[in-house]
Amino acid sequence: MQCGGCGAQIHIEAGLRTGKCPYCASPAVIERPPDPDRPEPSFALGFVVGKQRALELARAWIRRPLFAPGAFRRAQPSDVRGMYLPAYVYTAVASAEYNAEIGENYTVTETYTTTDAKGNTVTRTRTRVETEWRTLSGPWAAYVDDVVVSASKGLPDAELERIEPFDLRAMQRFEPAMLSGWIAEEPSITADGCMQRARSELEAQVGARLAKHMPGDRQRGLRFAWRAQHEDLELVVLPVWVLAVRYDDRLPPVRLVINGQSGKIGGRAPLSWTKIIVTIVAVLAAITVAVLAGSMR
Amino acid sequence: MSEPGATPTSTEAPSPCQRCASPLEPGDLRCAICGLPTPPSPRAQTPSEVVATIFRCSGCGAAMRYDEKAAAPKCSFCGEVLALEKPTDPIEQAGAYLRFRVDPEQAKVALRRWLGSLGFFRPKDLQGSAVVDKLQPLWWAGWCFDADVSVSWAADSDAGSRRSAWAPHAGAFELVLDNVVVSASRGLSDRECAALVPGYNLRDADPDPDPARHAAVEGFDVQRSAARATISRALSATAAEHAQTRVPGSSVRNLRVAVVPRRLTTSRLGFPAYVLAYRYRDEVYRAIVHGQNPGIVHGTAPLSWLRIVMVVVGAIAAIGLVATIVWAATR
Repeated sequence: MQCGGCGAQIHIEAGLRTGKCPYCASPAVIERPPDPDRPEPSFALGFVVGKQRALELARAWIRRPLFAPGAFRRAQPSDVRGMYLPAYVYTAVASAEYNAEIGENYTVTETYTTTDAKGNTVTRTRTRVETEWRTLSGPWAAYVDDVVVSASKGLPDAELERIEPFDLRAMQRFEPAMLSGWIAEEPSITADGCMQRARSELEAQVGARLAKHMPGDRQRGLRFAWRAQHEDLELVVLPVWVLAVRYDDRLPPVRLVINGQSGKIGGRAPLSWTKIIVTIVAVLAAITVAVLAGSMR
Repeated sequence: MSEPGATPTSTEAPSPCQRCASPLEPGDLRCAICGLPTPPSPRAQTPSEVVATIFRCSGCGAAMRYDEKAAAPKCSFCGEVLALEKPTDPIEQAGAYLRFRVDPEQAKVALRRWLGSLGFFRPKDLQGSAVVDKLQPLWWAGWCFDADVSVSWAADSDAGSRRSAWAPHAGAFELVLDNVVVSASRGLSDRECAALVPGYNLRDADPDPDPARHAAVEGFDVQRSAARATISRALSATAAEHAQTRVPGSSVRNLRVAVVPRRLTTSRLGFPAYVLAYRYRDEVYRAIVHGQNPGIVHGTAPLSWLRIVMVVVGAIAAIGLVATIVWAATR
């Protein structure tokens, strides 16, 4: 593609929406005519956490896990990249018909015979809480909003969930200029695929909200048939910082993802088995010494 | 290359939400009730082919980059910022002020009448000896909303109970809420506002406060988003109050409600009232007189401890006398 600044050819990586002119370093954003196969984002959530702050947060996080290898905890990552992640926001009116067993507690007073300190047989009373189980069925309906699913194969939902929530009240109407100077990924998962995953998440949310809706002292066997009406799915771009922590040339780097709005970090620190085994041995040794010391008194 | 096209925020009232039919307000990008996005305004420029656009500053021509501190694309040379369409969250402003129908003299008379109606346990001379120290007319701030609400509820009650004292129940109903008033006042307590609300004629209003009343105008002091959260809580609480009456039985616990509001219309109003400070035997008490209905007064008043002690002593003496008679009769 030709640079609108100096006329040089700009190479845009497949799957991305932004690039940079190699000669004048001007940031470029790909704009397209309306295309149903490549939907335009409706909203964008801007970055709040800057690059320096993202690096500070990442370095603090890396030092925290006690059982991570020392090389990992000493790593000084510097290559943090801010990117806009494509995701879908799903909203709907959810309704359900549920059926559950509700436990209502009651107290039973009973008499029993026992032997007292002098060896006499005595009769005493005691109370015990019992649960009476009753069946409850009924309707339920509510708005379900802000179910977020990733539209990127590079950052699956599980990884996105670790850095959620995003405050979607701050979303701005999407303008391509918002992407200028940042890496912006194209959606690599179709809207239909995201809709299916959003509905699965909706079902989980309905189940969780129904569990809170139930009366009684206890509950079990909650079953429900649900449906979603007035569904809406909007493509948005979310701000994330991504960095790879290299600490051992023989191992793949550890990826950290940082919420570009709140600074929340998602990632899995590696474990040092040497540290874990040394700790277990030290604890066992301490217990053994304590037992031996006790038996020698 | 294209010039940055600023999308100004529309000030026209948009159409109601297509999902829940609640009115939207200028600056809303999503419905505050159900979360459905508002329709976007048509883009000023839509490319006819795929292009690599460099957004340039209209002042100095340098390339712009989204800046997290400015929360907008910003020129790193001259600092110019490109305007984006953002959700607005203005401070709430009253849209109408209910008219005063009670003048200050009527308010003082209403206070005296109220002081004389408080019953036996108040000082006998309260009505005559109380002196009004201060009278302040004001419009207190509040929201008034209407909504159609689908309510689903679940609760425990004593109806149908067996071994346990409680049995679970569930149901659903449609609720039409009209003119539910939610206080935004900081000067008046919720209890005082609740006592005043039933007497207001919500149609008797002016768009602006009448300056001839010399009344203080209480501000809302909250942003629109916080106001919506308050109204949403009030709607759920009102739905729960209605649901409570639908649960069979006489005792209810663990009442849960889920609501689907539609056509939620909110107006921001100033409600007229008089705040009076009166003095009785060197103690200051406060009373609120309704600004439209002088029959509604709420406030604090002194107690006559002498009368209370007399009644207690009299009651004990009467019980003792009856006990003595019963004891004497059974000997």
